[in-house]
Amino acid sequence: MATATTTQQPAQVVQPQAKPAQYYLDRVIRYALLIGIGLVLLSPFILSFLGTFKTNREILAYPPTIIPTEWHPENWGRVWETSAGPGATFPRWVLNTIILCLVNIATQVLFCSMAAFAFARLNFPGKELVFSGMLATMMIPGAITLVPGYVLIAGRLGWVNNYAAILVPGAVGAFGIFLLTQFFKALPKELEEAAYIDGASRWQIYKDVILPLAKPALLTLVILTFQAQWNNFLGPLLYFQDASMYTMTVGLSFFRQQYQTAWNLVLVGSMLNAIPVLILFFLFNKYYIEGISYAGLK
Amino acid sequence: MAAQATRQRTGFWQNEKARGEALTAYLFLSPYLIITLVFTVGLLIYAVYLSFTRFDLFTPPEWRGINNYIESLGDARFLRSLYNVAWYSLIVTPVQTLLAILMAVLLNAPIAGKRFFRTVFYAPSVTSSVVISMIFIWLYNRNGFINFGLSQLLSRDVTVSWLQEPRGLIEIIAGLFGGTIPADQWWLRGPSVALMAIMAMNIFTTAPTFMIMFLAALQDIPGYVYEAASLDGSYGAHRFVNITLPLLRPVILLVIVLSTIGTFQLFDQALLMTAGGPLDTTLTPTLLIYNEALGKAGPPRMGLASSMAFVLGAIIFVFTFIQRHYIERGTEQI
Repeated sequence: MATATTTQQPAQVVQPQAKPAQYYLDRVIRYALLIGIGLVLLSPFILSFLGTFKTNREILAYPPTIIPTEWHPENWGRVWETSAGPGATFPRWVLNTIILCLVNIATQVLFCSMAAFAFARLNFPGKELVFSGMLATMMIPGAITLVPGYVLIAGRLGWVNNYAAILVPGAVGAFGIFLLTQFFKALPKELEEAAYIDGASRWQIYKDVILPLAKPALLTLVILTFQAQWNNFLGPLLYFQDASMYTMTVGLSFFRQQYQTAWNLVLVGSMLNAIPVLILFFLFNKYYIEGISYAGLK
Repeated sequence: MAAQATRQRTGFWQNEKARGEALTAYLFLSPYLIITLVFTVGLLIYAVYLSFTRFDLFTPPEWRGINNYIESLGDARFLRSLYNVAWYSLIVTPVQTLLAILMAVLLNAPIAGKRFFRTVFYAPSVTSSVVISMIFIWLYNRNGFINFGLSQLLSRDVTVSWLQEPRGLIEIIAGLFGGTIPADQWWLRGPSVALMAIMAMNIFTTAPTFMIMFLAALQDIPGYVYEAASLDGSYGAHRFVNITLPLLRPVILLVIVLSTIGTFQLFDQALLMTAGGPLDTTLTPTLLIYNEALGKAGPPRMGLASSMAFVLGAIIFVFTFIQRHYIERGTEQI
């Protein structure tokens, strides 16, 4: 694919006349494909965003309109006033989602980095075993732990309608530890050795040397944890039965059943859920991509 | 020097130091170990036990031996759900893998606005499955943009109720030639229109995730490989098939395995868009397990649900094992 620019000279040697025409044809096809795929991938978002400004009659009319005939920006305010019972309002669902995300990020960053420090920098009996055991747990299908998880968390521990049902099992994860371990291993050891000579403890090395150096990897973990928790559906669906405990995702699915005809409001809610993640992705897409690429390295 | 160091490390001091380091390491690991021993290893063992019992959450579990496994393998709805995800995986995995490779190759070329296109391509993958499902329920409705777009394209009225249409692909094709498939041979009908609608949506959201993996792999191919290829007169399609694809082989294997694992566990979209209907043609094993365990259809059957989960796990394991074996053997031959 890089033919056009990187192989200019050899190409001229082999086929002196054929190249320019081929070059321009290649470019046209390539940009047409890029723009075509881009439009297909973005059009559901664009159509939904425009749909949020329509009346409910217009949003379900046939033939559908792309641009609203009348603009109703107040739809964006109406969502915040909808309620599914006492205390179960849309703002409350946003708050629940934010609380889950913040606590989940804090514990993931702390516990994953601690474990990764042990794997990357300390020697201890059973290290290989624990590490490969950790990788093996990543292969267990979620369906297998779903049933006993529900029995334990909802039944034995009684964490129905309790943030703990999501936050305790998800406090630390194998993927985060793996990601940080790979990053920590690649860090130079000189600074730590100097710190050990100065009499620093292992906790101080972890806190004052490794963590500051590992900021890019920690940021990757923060972003991926945020996205996973913000979009989490099955967990809150299983354990949050009271409508005041719903997160945005569960609230939205409830919303759709409850306000079957209010598609404009369902779309506003959907956009309010999608926009923060999309903004974060636009700002930090380098970190997202590193995280996904790491996932491919296991 | 080395000998001296070794001798120093054989005394009591060395043991204490090594023990200290091990103790510190396990302290650092303790939050992870506690959580994973309870919520992963513990649950796994508990799941094995439950799969041999009858348990409805309220009365104590009652031992049933392997009867749950026998019952789940004879359960018509469970077999139906496996049939559905088998079709789902068979179509979604190759299509999204090919699309992901195509998008990655397009983005790997020296183009203007590379970052912009990469960001646009990846956007559906960061959006939640719930939001995507909501948007597509709306797009797929009878008056929606999908029917409208198809009507424009084919210049005739298309009024399909995409998510309520239980007719299968093979059934529809047979119908064109006047054939019918009897009800007791549902397994000849192929994936329903509703299931194919979910397939199309999920290809749309998952292909970009795999695109990123291919892009990372393409960027790791050193430039001199392509320079050597062009000296040998290898360009375009020829170079792609003979050089790029073989180098991507390990990532293709990984993507196919990850895709198989993911497609067999379809849940969110099937629950939100169709709740398993129409006529169980979008019922998936995970959705059935969820329904059985939570008693959405009669009393909770935790034991049966657990045995179904292990059957599903075994099927996923066998498929990924075969894929791994087949593709790795292929690589050795090169």
